[in-house]
Amino acid sequence: MPLIEARALTKRYGSHVTALDGLTLDVEPGIIGLVGANGAGKSTFLKILLGLLQPTSGGASVLGLDVTRQGPDIRQYVGYLPEHDCLPPDLSATEFVTHMGRMAGLPAGAARERTAEVLRHVGLYEERYRPIGGYSTGMKQRVKLAQALVHDPKLLLLDEPTNGLDPAGRDEMLGLVKRTGTEFGIATVVASHLLGEIERVCTFLLAIDNGKLLRAAPIASFTERTGTLGVEVEEGADALAARLVERGLDARVEGRTVLVDVPDERPYDMVRDAVADMGLALVRMEQRRHRLEDLFRADEEGAA
Amino acid sequence: MTGSEPAVAARQSASGAIYDLGYQGYDGPRLGRRAAVATLFWASLRAAFALGRSGRAKIVPWGITALLLIPAGVTVAIASLSPRAPAAFDYDNFLFNLSTLIAIFVAAQAPELVSSDQRNRVLSLYFSHALERTDYALAKLAALTAAIFLITLAPMLLLFLGRVLLAADVVEAFGDELGQLPQVIGAPLIYAIPLAAFSLAIAAFTPRRAYATGAIIAVFLVGAAMAGILGDATSGPLRDLSQLANAFVPLDGTRDWLVGDPIPDSPVSRMDYPMWVFGAEALAVTLISAAATVWRYRGVEA
Repeated sequence: MPLIEARALTKRYGSHVTALDGLTLDVEPGIIGLVGANGAGKSTFLKILLGLLQPTSGGASVLGLDVTRQGPDIRQYVGYLPEHDCLPPDLSATEFVTHMGRMAGLPAGAARERTAEVLRHVGLYEERYRPIGGYSTGMKQRVKLAQALVHDPKLLLLDEPTNGLDPAGRDEMLGLVKRTGTEFGIATVVASHLLGEIERVCTFLLAIDNGKLLRAAPIASFTERTGTLGVEVEEGADALAARLVERGLDARVEGRTVLVDVPDERPYDMVRDAVADMGLALVRMEQRRHRLEDLFRADEEGAA
Repeated sequence: MTGSEPAVAARQSASGAIYDLGYQGYDGPRLGRRAAVATLFWASLRAAFALGRSGRAKIVPWGITALLLIPAGVTVAIASLSPRAPAAFDYDNFLFNLSTLIAIFVAAQAPELVSSDQRNRVLSLYFSHALERTDYALAKLAALTAAIFLITLAPMLLLFLGRVLLAADVVEAFGDELGQLPQVIGAPLIYAIPLAAFSLAIAAFTPRRAYATGAIIAVFLVGAAMAGILGDATSGPLRDLSQLANAFVPLDGTRDWLVGDPIPDSPVSRMDYPMWVFGAEALAVTLISAAATVWRYRGVEA
């Protein structure tokens, strides 16, 4: 049974705005990155999975439960961290997380125990007895994560969990997300418009754009070796590229770097000999990897 | 706190070393939607009386409760000292004569229950838990009804208990007063349900607490003032109709109709309507208000 299944999932707001456009996908457990620009449909997708929004057409299921008919059943087993502020300023973290634990169906005693557990996990200690209104943004994000974890969900839906955090806060939050997903084994969907963050914590990537699925594949397949060699020289990159093309290689220039396709071992020696013959100053040679950015760049080029 | 006890033990025995126990899952029961609704009801009822909140938040609910209890206590005291003296307050006129205090409680505490959830967008967390939007609206309505019922029941019970316990013959007095019990319990209930429904419907439509309080107060006070002015200025059917603008008139009429007697302080006794009209107005206001609240929460962005 897939963790999340969507079939031609479509959501329109009014007659003009299409947030999701025939999304079809199957997602297996793991830490799943849901990436896309602002307005790509990420939040809408998460809200439909929670049963908070009804799809216009198509359907989806979470943990084998239908999102349109079994919303409350799904929500017992799902933790949700919204993108926006959602905390009452006059309650303490302990009071609020306990309350949310009970809202998720935990008995009172269990809710208190679990609250102590998850607040420790997210790194809130003495301050957890103070009203949330006085917390920093980083502490508030931790409370939001704690309330999503308090009922030991089978699936975590995190909508821009690093929103509003400074670089150090981002690192800590991403570390927490990774730990939650790997050590606790809780399947997690992280929606973000920041590719770098997704790359750091996720094992699987869903890229959506304009409500359509762009790519769905393990992160490894995006960042695997591409068979491209980057040869950076002080000067004479154009001449080097011309020489290599002459010898039958596929080479092109990118700034001071010559990019050479390497289908086998042969090009390495040829590059070495060419550089030596021409007396060029070699700065570095490196294997190129795909970056996630390429995913969108390729798409933009394709569209252009 | 069984989950954290081993951690404490480890810390003590190893002289300062802290062992990370790792993450503990939860395999216990998940009580589901009904438990979530019950939790929300009790938490909201506590919030209506600011239990667990700051001292400042307690001023209105407990101040009003005290102000409602004082006249009841004084009435009981006077009655026990000089049994022949005419009592200013009795079961039948108590709530109507102190309706301004009840209105202030309702105007202050209805927004207390719902405005913050909307303003701080806590709603999106509630709706992402094991309850439905309608459950939220009904749990809040039930909690506010219970809160108004409690503050109106308290002085009525004080009157009742005072008369029984301070009487020369407690057993005989209990027998005499027992017949009043439907009114002691029924009148607060007749006030609580429509007032809660109506004020919550107003409060649900704005995330701004001050606006909600202002709007509720305005409806009660302006309605009462208009009814007073028109009651003096007009006569006949028009005068009768104008009295319905006072939110407490249908409540007193319903009380009169179902559990009590006419009281001279209320316009009801001077109006030419059959008594069921008041009950019908109270019921209509309750149903329309509750439907509006549910409709609002079904559509509100979360």
